[in-house]
Amino acid sequence: MSLKERARKALSKPSPYGVDVDVSSYTIEEPQVYGEVQVDKSVEEAAESKVGIKPSVSQYVQVGQTAFYKLMEKSLEKYGVKVMPLNVALEKSEFARGLVWRLVSPDIDKYTALTYLYGGELGYFVYVPPEVKVPTPIYTCLVLRAERKAMLAHNIVYVDDGAEAHVVTGCTIPHGVKGGLHVGISEFYVGKNARLTFSMIHSWAEGMHIRPRTAVKVGEGGEYVSYYMIYSPVSSIQLFPRTTLEREAKLYAASVIAGKARGNYDIGAKAQLEGAKSSAEIVSRVVAFEDSEIYARGDIEGLASESRGHIECLGLLASPKAIISSIPTVTSRNPQSILSHEAAIGVIAREEIEYLESKGFTEEEAKSIIIRGFMSIEAPGLPEIVKTQARRLIDYIARSGAL
Amino acid sequence: MLLLRLKGLNVCAGDRIVVRDVDLDVSCGEVHVILGPNGAGKTSLLSAIMGLPRVRVCGGTIIFESEDITGVPAYERARRGIALAHQFVPSIRGVKVADIARHIVERYGGDGYEDILDILDVKNLMGRYLFYGFSGGERRRLELYLTLIQRPKLALLDEPDSGVDVDSLRLIAEAVNYAVRSWNTSIVLVTHLGAILDKLYDITRVHIMLGGRIVYSGDLDVAKVVLSKGYIEGLKILGVTPQ
Repeated sequence: MSLKERARKALSKPSPYGVDVDVSSYTIEEPQVYGEVQVDKSVEEAAESKVGIKPSVSQYVQVGQTAFYKLMEKSLEKYGVKVMPLNVALEKSEFARGLVWRLVSPDIDKYTALTYLYGGELGYFVYVPPEVKVPTPIYTCLVLRAERKAMLAHNIVYVDDGAEAHVVTGCTIPHGVKGGLHVGISEFYVGKNARLTFSMIHSWAEGMHIRPRTAVKVGEGGEYVSYYMIYSPVSSIQLFPRTTLEREAKLYAASVIAGKARGNYDIGAKAQLEGAKSSAEIVSRVVAFEDSEIYARGDIEGLASESRGHIECLGLLASPKAIISSIPTVTSRNPQSILSHEAAIGVIAREEIEYLESKGFTEEEAKSIIIRGFMSIEAPGLPEIVKTQARRLIDYIARSGAL
Repeated sequence: MLLLRLKGLNVCAGDRIVVRDVDLDVSCGEVHVILGPNGAGKTSLLSAIMGLPRVRVCGGTIIFESEDITGVPAYERARRGIALAHQFVPSIRGVKVADIARHIVERYGGDGYEDILDILDVKNLMGRYLFYGFSGGERRRLELYLTLIQRPKLALLDEPDSGVDVDSLRLIAEAVNYAVRSWNTSIVLVTHLGAILDKLYDITRVHIMLGGRIVYSGDLDVAKVVLSKGYIEGLKILGVTPQ
């Protein structure tokens, strides 16, 4: 059966996790591509204020089904780095054609199928040549502007052997827009002894359904660092990126989740330790406000000797009406694989607040300090600009959450 | 200069009076030790001075720097210069020690943090979750550190010598001596074992507390009598008949 036929069959196939979404109720516009970044003020403002990314300085911007990219990108050109819409890359490059739908199959569920069949292969394609260490982050920005629309993106990042790169993605919608579907398929390749840090900040709104589908392959001695943050309300979000690691490859995956309103958040990370001495650390910090419902998943499979994995899922229930469910899973298929996990969910205890009050902080300040400290995860090697942005957003979450 | 005055202080925990008719004057740079067995009301007394909601003042007044602070909330007392090193501290998983220390330093400013950090040997604890999985000595040293970096005018130390090893005890005493001599900090220290007393340089007065009352006040010799003979027998020697 062809991929297309398999995808068609999968159009009604729900995901095993998360709320099932009727994808047929969303309209998908025709894909368009422009070789310069020119977005309107509402998009520029939303992206900068909500996810800290200026579309005007981004290498790739997608607004709905319209892609903008910098045809003449001087800052990255000198490193030989290529950034372009995936459909442009597929027209030009046999290499790019060999990378798509290899790590993520179109028939995983209705969301992958929808993107395969109707997405027009919009999304970003990033290639970093061997041994090139790109000091400045590569910015991408995805914005959904109109209601009841679907934004479908398919992203490929290939960091060749010995190279290093930082990709920073912000996904958001302008103020006042509610209701929409975002599906992002991401296939990342981290070469031998290469390093990729991928930071993604999500700020959506009530009524939005978000379905990223990500798979990462890390070559021998390579390293992949993922930092994910969501702090806005949504209708639902479900993501469970999978990383396979070859010999001595490393994964560090951090998720910071602040659940708001009546949102359903099903967020996790999965690692498959396929190579000897590979390692994975999956860390999540979850704070559930208001009526939110959060499922925090971590899954590590130890397949190779001397591989190591650890999951740490910590949750803070900041509302009596919220729910957190923490689901760490470790599976060993090799006696020399060492895996562990810890999960804990708590509340901000009265004694903790009183303790901080005795140090000179008001009740609101005490709550804010606890939330802020709890959500601050230091992922190794993130660009300073991402750390600064994360601190700013965590400050905002802590301040608003303490009230 | 008089810093703290307790006048006829009664403290209640629920419906029960746990501290009765306590009068106490503490001047700047003085070190007052309150000795007493478990359940004597020592912790309740410090909690009331700090303004913790677990107890309430049900009689008398607390004067700090000539102002009646009896109704002032704990955070405001801390900002005025009162700090409490708690006997029991909450462990907060997920929140790092360094985060809390940074917030305190930002709030109070000043200098001398590095000295206290070195004296109490707590630098290696900064990356850990607050009091989570700490040994007794680590817990006491860190709590004293977080108290002293507030640069308080008055530090209330609740059983700083309880459950610590000899090395930690030496460091804790050194830090208290440093705060008194370098910053002229006033200390009210409560203890039931008195293990720290021979390591403190400048003890101004020792008070014996029993059944919620201060029943005797004197110099360090008082402590020696009570600690060697026990509270009941020692007080008899001192000519006090506990009520």
